[in-house]
Amino acid sequence: MPEIIVDHLTHTFGKGTPDALTVLDDINLTFESGSFNAIVGTSGCGKSTLLKMMAGLFDPSDGRMTLDGDVIRGTDRRRGMVFQQDAVFPWMTVAKNISYGPRLRGAGRAEQREIEAKWTEMVGLKGFEDRWPRELSGGMRKRVDIGRVYANDPDVLLMDEPFGALDAQTKERMQSDLLAAWAQSRKTVVFVTHDLEEAIFLADRIVVMSARPGRIRHIEQVSLPRPRTDEMRLTDEFIQVKRRLWEMLDH
Amino acid sequence: MPTWNTLGSRRLLLGVLSVATVFAAYVWVTNLPDNNPALLPPIRDIVTSFFTNLTDGNLITALGASLFRIGMGFLIGTTLALVLGCLIGWYQTMEYIFDPLIEAVRPIPPLAYIPIIIIWFGIGEFSRVLIITIACFMVCVVNVIAGMKNVPQVYVDAASTMGATRFQVFRTVAVPAATPFIITGYRIALAAAWTTLVASELLAAQNGLGFLLQEGRRYFLTDQVMMIIIIIGACAFIMDRIFRKIQARLMQWSEARE
Ligand SMILES: Nc1ncnc2c1ncn2[C@@H]1O[C@H](COP(=O)(O)OP(=O)(O)OP(=O)(O)O)[C@@H](O)[C@H]1O
Ligand SMILES: [Mg+2]
Repeated sequence: MPEIIVDHLTHTFGKGTPDALTVLDDINLTFESGSFNAIVGTSGCGKSTLLKMMAGLFDPSDGRMTLDGDVIRGTDRRRGMVFQQDAVFPWMTVAKNISYGPRLRGAGRAEQREIEAKWTEMVGLKGFEDRWPRELSGGMRKRVDIGRVYANDPDVLLMDEPFGALDAQTKERMQSDLLAAWAQSRKTVVFVTHDLEEAIFLADRIVVMSARPGRIRHIEQVSLPRPRTDEMRLTDEFIQVKRRLWEMLDH
Repeated sequence: MPTWNTLGSRRLLLGVLSVATVFAAYVWVTNLPDNNPALLPPIRDIVTSFFTNLTDGNLITALGASLFRIGMGFLIGTTLALVLGCLIGWYQTMEYIFDPLIEAVRPIPPLAYIPIIIIWFGIGEFSRVLIITIACFMVCVVNVIAGMKNVPQVYVDAASTMGATRFQVFRTVAVPAATPFIITGYRIALAAAWTTLVASELLAAQNGLGFLLQEGRRYFLTDQVMMIIIIIGACAFIMDRIFRKIQARLMQWSEARE
């Protein structure tokens, strides 16, 4: 199973230029296979940068990352990513977006249909298969985005504040749905958020980052049992963890 | 009440009114006792000229010749622009090679090539189509390149992380994301095709709409000149409408469609 190791990773944008900016400084992390990890930290501490490098979209200026011992270089379908921005292709219908990955690898019409049916259902968009993304709400588009990455069946799921723009209720429902989908497949998940409650509800382990330059301040093990239920959000343990993490963040 | 304020009907009404006003003004002026029909021919003469030219076949021949030139020039020019523009906009090496050339040539109005084309290739059909081709290519390629350059990075990243190769990203992301720009390029190219068509036929042609214009000027057939101007306007208008239909079809997915 896939395990990710981030080893002495440092990244400086515009290295060697007058406005060089060190965004990440000596990050060391291990994401165990099948675990659900969250990364929290204030805006601008380098969370998206770290995730994009794990996806292979660009190389770190120093240090390295490995997936099952292989150094990560360039993108690979094994590491799927849900972006902070809306990344649903507006020129494809919901169904076509969902089956995009399999289609890249030459999946036949029947296989595509099967995948489309399965994942539109899973992300709660049954009946919207033939709609254009412009006809969907922001939350529905995010579902398409997540379904599309899931349908591509990566080993590692990198999620960058996927629910950042949603209202509280939609957000909680989508968190539960995400956990349900994850429980079935047990992919390794790295989930970036700046919502502490979201991190605690979802993850086994929470990485707290400090900003400028981004460093790891603390790693919190969450011992809440699984499956997680919405009632747990109100337990003492949950609130204690939340307080501890809150005090640790840059305010 | 509500129908008056809906955009559609108000737009239609005002549009019809404005055209009708100009038409009425023209009719009125041409019916004034001291109007000179050699300068402003009455509508009746323009219509007569249309039917004479239609029945003796002149108009059909001219229209056929002109549409053929436009069709060829537009097709060749835009196809080249599409292929080259995609390559230049997407592959950096191609950009480094071709961009300086295009930037150097871009400010030159296509009509400026007419003399050199005539010197090299004479005043035959080939030269006329070539001028239109150049004009269509130049305006279109710039748009195709812009479209490729404006593909949002997040779509490219999303496709790459799903395992798309560079060529697959090009085919499944860059081209569709650039279609709004590409279609605009095609529409501007069509307008450019008409401009250069008339210019090239005015200069050197034995047939075509531009030739009929030139003939009208030479023999003071103002009604014929007016008639051809209207024909050109109508043709360009119809073609643009057809284009908009195609655009609306291709751009069903876009918020910004008309
Ligand atoms: N391509 C880039 N070039 C230069 N600087 C960049 C680039 N991308 C990000 N940065 C800078 O790096 C820092 C971290 O950015 P990043 O997007 O990783 O933050 P983040 O933790 O994801 O923030 P947020 O929570 O707001 O999404 C910011 O100061 C940003 O300005
Ligand atoms: Mg971010």
